[in-house]
Amino acid sequence: MTGRFMITLLALGFGTGVLAEALSDADEIIARANLAAYYAGVDGRSEVRMIISDAQGRQQRRQFTVLRRDVQDAGDQHFLVVFSQPSDVRNTVFLVDKHIDRDDDRWLYLPGLDLVKRISAGDKRTSFVGAHYFYEDVSGRSPADDAHELVETTGEFYVLRHTPVRPQSVEFSSYMTWIDRDTFLPMKIEYTNAAGNLYRRVEVLKVEDFDGHPTVTISQVSDLLTGGKTDMQFRYIKYDAGLPESVFTERSLRSPPRDWLKRPEK
Amino acid sequence: MLVLFPMALFAQDDVWDDENWGDEEDSAVWSGFLEAGLGTRFDEDPLVDKRNTLEELRWRIESEWRPGKVTVGVKADAVYDAIESKWDADFRDLTAAFSLGDTIDVKVGRQVQTWGTGDLVFLNDLFPKDFISFFAGRDDEYLKAPGNAARFTWYSDAINADFVWTPIFEPDIYLTGERFSFYSPQAGENIAPSPPFHAPEPDESFSNGEFALRLYRTVESTEYAVYAYRGFFKQPPFAEMNAYGASFRRPAGPGLFNIETSHYDSDTDQTRFLLGYEWEAQPRFTVGLQYYLERNEAAKNRYMLTNRLTYRAGMDKYTWSLFTFYSPSDDDYYFRPQFTYRHSDDWSLTAGANLLGGDETHTFFGQLDDASNAYVRVRYHY
Repeated sequence: MTGRFMITLLALGFGTGVLAEALSDADEIIARANLAAYYAGVDGRSEVRMIISDAQGRQQRRQFTVLRRDVQDAGDQHFLVVFSQPSDVRNTVFLVDKHIDRDDDRWLYLPGLDLVKRISAGDKRTSFVGAHYFYEDVSGRSPADDAHELVETTGEFYVLRHTPVRPQSVEFSSYMTWIDRDTFLPMKIEYTNAAGNLYRRVEVLKVEDFDGHPTVTISQVSDLLTGGKTDMQFRYIKYDAGLPESVFTERSLRSPPRDWLKRPEK
Repeated sequence: MLVLFPMALFAQDDVWDDENWGDEEDSAVWSGFLEAGLGTRFDEDPLVDKRNTLEELRWRIESEWRPGKVTVGVKADAVYDAIESKWDADFRDLTAAFSLGDTIDVKVGRQVQTWGTGDLVFLNDLFPKDFISFFAGRDDEYLKAPGNAARFTWYSDAINADFVWTPIFEPDIYLTGERFSFYSPQAGENIAPSPPFHAPEPDESFSNGEFALRLYRTVESTEYAVYAYRGFFKQPPFAEMNAYGASFRRPAGPGLFNIETSHYDSDTDQTRFLLGYEWEAQPRFTVGLQYYLERNEAAKNRYMLTNRLTYRAGMDKYTWSLFTFYSPSDDDYYFRPQFTYRHSDDWSLTAGANLLGGDETHTFFGQLDDASNAYVRVRYHY
């Protein structure tokens, strides 16, 4: 009874725009943001395309489908990424076993060589397939890697400042996050370097609801030093399709799971 | 945020035309590339007429379609090769793939296959290699030659099994004297016979077919595999052999560690052993080291060290790499420096060199002293 009562209250709260009482614990806000941004549902699928633009306006394109399955909320996850564009990476498949307590396991399938290449743990803050997005932006930065401080609570956002626990391991000295108070999605992230300059910005430009989960459908990352940027768009999103564990194995590298990669019916 | 939205969407309109998400992948998509390649020796080989080692135009066509539960794949190359003054065409892939029940995948037809843990060093991977392409400066992909085979893979929670049947023996594409001269033990020196050398192959009968088996499993980040093979050495004189091996790969420290071993049971037995370690030493800079040992029953041991350095820069637009083979026991070496510039999704350029040599002409890389070359390739993807 209590549970149902709570749900009704929450639904009313959202529906009428009345805000729930503001949280004041930065770690709790970050924990909820981590869940909202990276752990919606038990599993999920999305098609993704990116337009990578350099300062001269020259563009490159990437398109892929992502399947995700959570082993545990806020814990380990599997990702399978199957590329369809551009033609030189078509059918390249990327499999990630994300771990919380150790380095992720990563495999790349190169169809030209029929080679399952295992990738050594690397710097996660380098370009993901040539984009301005980093590996870490795609699979999530562990909340434990930073110290979090709630700077301000506005009508719409929790504004937090984050400083790295191991400063030598990252290229930023700190970053600020604007987290939506309703959805807990980080809507804007701004990175400052050691010289104190703002040099990188990630922005969410559109959020839509899928299966009850507020979901980012358009975002953009800008390199403020070079003027380059990457636009990222998500479509054909589906949660809780019942993806089995077996989808995230070497089998899917050589023969991608077509039934699970299919677009969801409207 | 509300105020920002319409502006942001408007600003994106030229980038995000709403079409072009592509059809559901049931319909065939045609893609591929056109490539021009040119490579030339640093010094002439007195035994070979042509100084160039690569002079070709290549057209790749790829597609895939799925009638029902079957996936049909095609990957074909049409090539004009000015070194051999001929047109050539080959399928790198012409396969039908399907599942039998929930646990067995089958792929039948002409296909490229790879397994094992070595980096450009092969122990249990006894699928055909094309060393001519490798030394001439073609894309790394061409080191793996296609073969006509049927592959069955069985998946289970306990273990996975790959079984590959190659009904007619598929040899490596080996040195013939046409593009590169090679060492002849009979002559005691390099030769480049005309017509090109062609070794008698095992009779084309099913009884000479090749069987390759791999059992593998990944447990908590560690990959285990055992291998077995029945067939022939892939290089002349194609002695009959059976092979057994095992491999292991797992994360260790900041990188990946692998061990692989294989025993070739033949007229003269051979045992191969490999140790490897790869790690990202700096962001975007990867180092791979391998120690490789070949212990022959009859001859002396051969061992080799390899080193791969890879550096990516400019949002992965530029890739510098250097792969080095060096054998202290044979006193020979092979350096493969390479630079790739990915100008756009359509255009890319690769330039590199194959630097081979050694103290003596009878060793694997030493015989190719006069084959050392530099090359450039320009590719247009469509």
